[in-house]
Amino acid sequence: MTYLVLAYAFGVAMLGGYLAWSLRHLRELERPKR
Amino acid sequence: MNNYEKAATGAVALMLVAAGAIFLYAPTDALQGPVQRIFYLHVSSAIAAFASFAVVLVGGIVYLWRESAAADRLARAGALVGVVFTTVTLVMGMLWAKPVWGVFWTWDARLTSTLVLWIIYAGYLLVRRLAEPGRQAARFAAVVGIFGFIDVPIVYFSVTWWRTFHPGPVIVTDALPAAMLGTFLLTMACTLVLGATMIAVRYRIEALLDARERVSEPGVVVKARGAEMGTEPVP
Repeated sequence: MTYLVLAYAFGVAMLGGYLAWSLRHLRELERPKR
Repeated sequence: MNNYEKAATGAVALMLVAAGAIFLYAPTDALQGPVQRIFYLHVSSAIAAFASFAVVLVGGIVYLWRESAAADRLARAGALVGVVFTTVTLVMGMLWAKPVWGVFWTWDARLTSTLVLWIIYAGYLLVRRLAEPGRQAARFAAVVGIFGFIDVPIVYFSVTWWRTFHPGPVIVTDALPAAMLGTFLLTMACTLVLGATMIAVRYRIEALLDARERVSEPGVVVKARGAEMGTEPVP
């Protein structure tokens, strides 16, 4: 059970973290420059 | 909320539906117990990685054929997302191997060829980051991306070509009960939608970075400044 939890925790952290990071990066790039 | 954020929210919602099927609908495996549920995301991530590397292959071929900057951007986006999915596949596989095989890692044909796949595309990304942007780097990367794809069928067929610890194909051989197969197909479809969303977001980032790169080129800056001042740009 521990390995199941660890595996899904890693999967969610990696995929969710990457998606959140890339959306934040995109938002920064699309922000109009002064 | 922009369109990319809306698409990402939709993809996350689909992954939550898949999680519901994995933990609430799919039956527990009689031999391995709950740890077998790692299978659903582990295999779906591997398929999403193969699809992402297929995008790199197509992007590389189109770039070499037409020198299309859009194809090069698509290849860069596919490589990054493919490496993310391959990382998930490898780590989840290791965490499944420990309770089942007794070890996190063994130099088995499937595991080794997957690690080689990760190294090829991580190398591709490293080359793109370190090389001076331009035609030369894009052409070299396209060649690496095309030849790197040769490892994808090697990974897939490794379990049939060599004797391995890793189980053979279970989807095409009808080895799964209907509830497990349904859960797997749903998870795979949701993971592919997530992968496509990630590639679309990364493509947009690459396009904006390319536009910034062009603006920071000296000639373009002079041209832009000339236009701003109402004078002719220096040729």
